[in-house]
Amino acid sequence: MQSDAPTTEGRDVGGLVAAIVLVLIGAIALYDTTGYADMDSVVFPRTVAIALILSSLGYIVYAILRRPPAEAHNTGSTLRRVSLVAVMLVSVAAMPWIGFVASGIVAFLCLILVAMHDPWTWQKAIVYPLVGIAIVVGFFALFRYGLLVPLPKGRLF
Amino acid sequence: MLGEHLAQALTPLNVLLALGGVAAGTIIGSIPGLTATMAVAVLVPLTFTMDPASALILLGAIYTGAIYGGAYSAILLNTPGTPSAIGTTFDGYPMAKCGDGNLAVTVACLGSVVGGLVGAFFLLTLSPPLSEVALAFGPVEYFWLAIFGLSLIAALSEGALAKGLMGASLGLLLSCVGVAEISADVRLTFGSQTMIGGIEVVSALIGLYCIPVLIDLVATPDRHLKVESEQRGFRLSEAIPIMWREKINVVRSSVIGTVVGILPGAGGSVAGLVAYAEARRAARQGQKYGTGEPGGVIATESANNATVGGGLIPTLVLGIPGTPPDAIILGALLVQGVRTGPQLFESQGSIVYTFIYGLFLATLLMLPVGLLVGRYAYKTVVTLPKALLVPSVAFMTIIGSYAIRNSVSDVIIMISLGAVGWVLARFGIAASPIVLGIILGPIAEQGFVQAWTIGSATGDLAGMFFGRPISLAIILFTLFTLFLPLLQARIRARRMPNAE
Repeated sequence: MQSDAPTTEGRDVGGLVAAIVLVLIGAIALYDTTGYADMDSVVFPRTVAIALILSSLGYIVYAILRRPPAEAHNTGSTLRRVSLVAVMLVSVAAMPWIGFVASGIVAFLCLILVAMHDPWTWQKAIVYPLVGIAIVVGFFALFRYGLLVPLPKGRLF
Repeated sequence: MLGEHLAQALTPLNVLLALGGVAAGTIIGSIPGLTATMAVAVLVPLTFTMDPASALILLGAIYTGAIYGGAYSAILLNTPGTPSAIGTTFDGYPMAKCGDGNLAVTVACLGSVVGGLVGAFFLLTLSPPLSEVALAFGPVEYFWLAIFGLSLIAALSEGALAKGLMGASLGLLLSCVGVAEISADVRLTFGSQTMIGGIEVVSALIGLYCIPVLIDLVATPDRHLKVESEQRGFRLSEAIPIMWREKINVVRSSVIGTVVGILPGAGGSVAGLVAYAEARRAARQGQKYGTGEPGGVIATESANNATVGGGLIPTLVLGIPGTPPDAIILGALLVQGVRTGPQLFESQGSIVYTFIYGLFLATLLMLPVGLLVGRYAYKTVVTLPKALLVPSVAFMTIIGSYAIRNSVSDVIIMISLGAVGWVLARFGIAASPIVLGIILGPIAEQGFVQAWTIGSATGDLAGMFFGRPISLAIILFTLFTLFLPLLQARIRARRMPNAE
């Protein structure tokens, strides 16, 4: 359960920034609780927000006084990382418009490009998209007709 | 008489149904987002035309298989297929990364079989007295049980307790998003329609565990898991001695799973986490939980499969379902004309005992089915090119999280939480405390508010929270779990100078 990231020498600036952001989130949550009508709705989130603020402040003090080692930066392509999340989000946003199958196939093909590190060959260029289409259609059939899940249909077509 | 029920359970049709049910459940449970509840719910209409005992055997087999199936994606993709396999990721995935994924799958299978058998044994022999345990638990006990579950953070956050607490508090806060269950106030949505349905636990689980793995997978050309140079089969010759070494862990975790399974609403996720915490607390010198220790996989898997038998105890004896799939099985029982209650074992003993023996059968069949499916799942994940593995898993996370509530909002939340989880993990705030908070938040809040209301009405708040014997026992266990590692460290530090 510990963080995957290995540690390096130097102040944990990332941890400090995360703690400050969490203090802000806790403060926003505290403010939000002032608008609830029932006291039963207030007590738990307010307690938790205070716990979040206190634990984050505790870490800030600890990080300043004890200087724990910083988490190491990751290697690898940031562009590919951002592209993965963007493709997934855009495909889900497009789902109500172009339907589940179309958005699924487009997302699958885009993600093949994002995840492809090996050199392309004719065989891969033909087989990978076909496998992708088969997986999307296969899962669509399983969920739509086997498990009776009403997958989104497109508004445009 | 019992031999007669056993013979009924072992008819060719029932054996086939148990085998098919276990296989179907295992495959469904291995897909992230498809839970045991969904597996049982989807297949329950098939049973309506069957003989009652056969129908129940099929449902029990699907349930058992689905709970175990969650271990595959937990071990191979670091994503619990079902919430009850969260603890399996802690050590299962590190094992897989070191090339021991097939050993982890085999150990998980053996643990699940033993846990399932222990749960079924308690169901067969001690149902009426154990169901009283469920009745003895009130709101305040559930609150303390949730706090006990949260104490796992302390045990697992070595050197970064503050970060663990920050993550858990964030998770608890996320569990409050949406319409409040008790008073229907709209909380922490900031006017967004996407957030109004709250954060679905399984979607959050998939997002926080799976999306960061995918983000890191696409970033580099490195292989997902280490490929072994030689085929080593099921590795039973290594797994069986590990199981023998962990025999106390197996029994303890199975009993924890049975008892937690009896408590309505707690379920396999709480059982797995509590068993993992206890296994870690009782770790021997040199055992490093969280870094690929088979004991962690054994604890979680034996506990979550023991909840199957445990959850059926109050379902059959009291008509109170212990876990969500039990609620569906209860519905199936009613459709079949079986009336649950204390007299069930006498009035309709034939059906019930055949069902329980069928559960034993299904659990035993999980061994060959689980080992075979596990071996092929491992081989597939290890050998699949990254350019196909990433989109396949990403697509499964989307369809899996959508299918839970047929909601596009859940998918958006899943992906967003995953991205946030990846960023937080870079700053040392791991996903597990956040997930723990999200899962245990509703249990803690409901118990806390109800106990608060009762305590306020009776004018004895302190007595309500600290004056009940079961509560006190749970509080003591929690304190023990929290402070024992500190105490052990102090004792070790004192002994060190003497040793020198």
